[in-house]
Amino acid sequence: MSLNLDQALQTFIAEAYELLEEMETCLLQLENNPADLNAIGAIFRAAHTIKGSAGLFGLEPVVSFTHVVEDVLDRLRAGDIAISRTLIALLLECGDHIHYLVDVVAVRSQQPDAAATEREAGLRQRLQLYRQTSVSEAVSASPGVSAVRQEKDSSFDLWHISVRFGTEVLRNGMDPLAFLRYLNSIGQIVRITTLADSLPELSQMDAESCYLGFEIDYQSDASKAAIADAFEFVRDDCQLHILPPHSKTEHYIELIKNLPEQATLLGELLVASGALTQKELEDGLQQQVDAELKPATPLGEILIEQRSVEPELVQAALEKQNQIQEHKSKESRFVRVQADKLDELISLVGELVIAGAGANLLAKASQDETLYEATSTVTVLVEQIRDGALRLRMVPIGDTFNRFQRVVRDVSHELEKQIELQISGADTELDKTVVEKISDPLMHLLRNAMDHGIESPAARQAAGKSATGVLKLNAYHDSGSIVIEIADDGAGLNTERILQKARERGLVAATAQPSEQEIYNLIFEPGFSTASAITSLSGRGVGMDVVKRNITALRGSVDLSSAPGQGTKVRIRLPLTLAIIDGFLVGVGDASYVVPLDMVQECIELAGDSKVAAEPRHYINLRGEVLPLVFLHQHFNTGGGQRRRQNVVVVKNADQKAGLVVDELQGEFQTVIKPLGKLFSNLRSISGSTILGNGNVALILDVPSLIQQLAQQQVQPRLASQTPALRN
Amino acid sequence: MATMMTTRQQAVPPEDAQYLTFTLGGEMFAIGILHIKEILEYGNLTTVPMMPAFIRGVINLRGAVVPVVDLSARFGRPSSEVSRRSCIVIMEVEVDAGAQDVGLLVDAVSAVLEIPASEIEPAPSFGARIRADFISGMAKVNGKFVIVLNVNNVLSVDEMVQLAQVAE
Repeated sequence: MSLNLDQALQTFIAEAYELLEEMETCLLQLENNPADLNAIGAIFRAAHTIKGSAGLFGLEPVVSFTHVVEDVLDRLRAGDIAISRTLIALLLECGDHIHYLVDVVAVRSQQPDAAATEREAGLRQRLQLYRQTSVSEAVSASPGVSAVRQEKDSSFDLWHISVRFGTEVLRNGMDPLAFLRYLNSIGQIVRITTLADSLPELSQMDAESCYLGFEIDYQSDASKAAIADAFEFVRDDCQLHILPPHSKTEHYIELIKNLPEQATLLGELLVASGALTQKELEDGLQQQVDAELKPATPLGEILIEQRSVEPELVQAALEKQNQIQEHKSKESRFVRVQADKLDELISLVGELVIAGAGANLLAKASQDETLYEATSTVTVLVEQIRDGALRLRMVPIGDTFNRFQRVVRDVSHELEKQIELQISGADTELDKTVVEKISDPLMHLLRNAMDHGIESPAARQAAGKSATGVLKLNAYHDSGSIVIEIADDGAGLNTERILQKARERGLVAATAQPSEQEIYNLIFEPGFSTASAITSLSGRGVGMDVVKRNITALRGSVDLSSAPGQGTKVRIRLPLTLAIIDGFLVGVGDASYVVPLDMVQECIELAGDSKVAAEPRHYINLRGEVLPLVFLHQHFNTGGGQRRRQNVVVVKNADQKAGLVVDELQGEFQTVIKPLGKLFSNLRSISGSTILGNGNVALILDVPSLIQQLAQQQVQPRLASQTPALRN
Repeated sequence: MATMMTTRQQAVPPEDAQYLTFTLGGEMFAIGILHIKEILEYGNLTTVPMMPAFIRGVINLRGAVVPVVDLSARFGRPSSEVSRRSCIVIMEVEVDAGAQDVGLLVDAVSAVLEIPASEIEPAPSFGARIRADFISGMAKVNGKFVIVLNVNNVLSVDEMVQLAQVAE
């Protein structure tokens, strides 16, 4: 059972995070559209669900804090308090705090630290302003109570809860104690009597069955629906009667009649709790017997009666129905699939592509026309399956973008700037793994833009711009890759200052005059920051180099353009998927290598004069340009004789061109990338491998690192020429 | 983990452990059959450049790219000559992230033998001409000694990565 609970806890944690995210989104929506009742409802439901489930696991700190928040939300929903910017800000903070609490209490099973407790106290105090005591409301909310009791009793204001747990409760993984514990979190159990009457003889007792019932006197300002909700998980499996404070005597009597225990026993209990006086009890019992109104009131009718007493319960039931409907419509649109199942499928499809290509190759060689036709059809289908499978992993980038709304909002407050985030292209889809990995770099870039890019309102107005800065996030597809743009309309980059800083740090020689683009690229250098003051947000110079590294690791690129006074635009280009690339297959000796097609500029033949000239010098004249060459034969020290005719594949990476000298050009090839594994983790110039149609493995060239190596070799040409010999 | 495995193997060898015997440079070796996934004919190997000699290359094992270790070169001897009988033994070795398949290039596989624990002597500290930690014991088969290899040490991915780094 502990295992089950553990699993349930994991589900709770995941669900809580999702709900908190939803809550945040709704709050931000509310900020733009305060009249959005759906959003308020969604926020309330999120808080309510978190509280309820947390209570089930006895996560006391979460429950008690969320309860306060829920109270305020409830009043908000009822229209008792109006939505305001400060309230939204407060609720956002509360959301963060709940997130923290779930994190600490549920995930790490620790207690919140002192700082958090202090924060919570502050939040509670601020929430209190919106909360006020709602006891009076709870009373007025039960207008059906007509027979107001005259006498004043200490237990007068108490709820009375009778619960008889079904025998199956324990077996279903529920712990009656958890419910009581939860009750204590939304109120206070004043008196509790455990009824063990249904407990059989010891010899007949089943240790896994539950025989207990409880009579509880309960003080709470929660609504009846909220109290009933506490028992939601066992509702089908227990007898539950909740009598609100100030209930009519008849209700108590009815309760007594409907419970399995002896009337006198219960009567005494109620008298003891002060809910009834002895006289009332006797009168009531007598009355019913005399009148013989309903010798045995069916349970259903009592419930109906209770509902009529508590309109809130009806409302809650309606809400519940709505919720279920909402849930259903969501479910029909999405199917939750475990990510690794999907990965497995995609790697299988990858193999199918390879195997299909192999079969196609054989069919071609066999010169059997019908066979070839058949395999061609299969190939087309397989390609469709591959595209479909890859699309499964595609998610719109909008979710990631929307998360930044909050960041922008918070940071602009902190910086005392007015910044508006405009999102476009949120529907643009890309691979889930890429989405996950791009989120952090994007965050860095946004913060940088807000901190350094956009000026203070005063400065903006002085420059003749609107006080509110605009930050644009845009995404679109562009020839097999996705482009994400982050643009601000701030001051732009100060090239002089960057250059000056770079010279100070020795990144650029004092005499060198780098181009504008080169200067911009300097900010991606490690440890580079032009901000004169270090803020908590940025300015420490960590960030941009990390951004660049992360993006490069995704086989993407980042570039930057800027206009003084008009803003800066960072453009990130990423592959749509990490699993498949378009490759260009080349032969070197006996081996085949794949060059990522998007880096290939052109192919030229290396023959005649240019060949003679190239050998000793390692560069050729490409239409007046100097093109450095990499002789892959020598670079990789591969076996097999050199061919007489050689070709140069001109590759380009970030404005750097190089020529790869290869033996054979074998054409374009859809490449399913296979990682090489840990054993090859130190291997430079090779980024991965793929399997060709004939079943052989081909290695994928890492062009940026090749070019980088080339640059180093030019610095130390002698050393470089010696290393291949050392390597084997 | 690796050391734990070895001690367990040495301390409590299974009653009738099965071993695959193979030849390498005219010498007979044995490895516990539990580590072996399959045995393939040598072929279709792709050389990976700029790696130490003992990493022969990679092969396509039904869609997975599996590195192949030249056992002879791993012992510090010349690389194996590929012959008609050359085989790749696919083994499962443990790395920190789980299990990884590694191929072992050997000259020829011989047989699967049951060797009783009593027939296995502890490894000599010297004289076997290969590193002592590669040997888990010496088994007597038909009156001749066969070196039983300690697979986890021979195919230690961590160590091989380090060696590859040094070579570069």
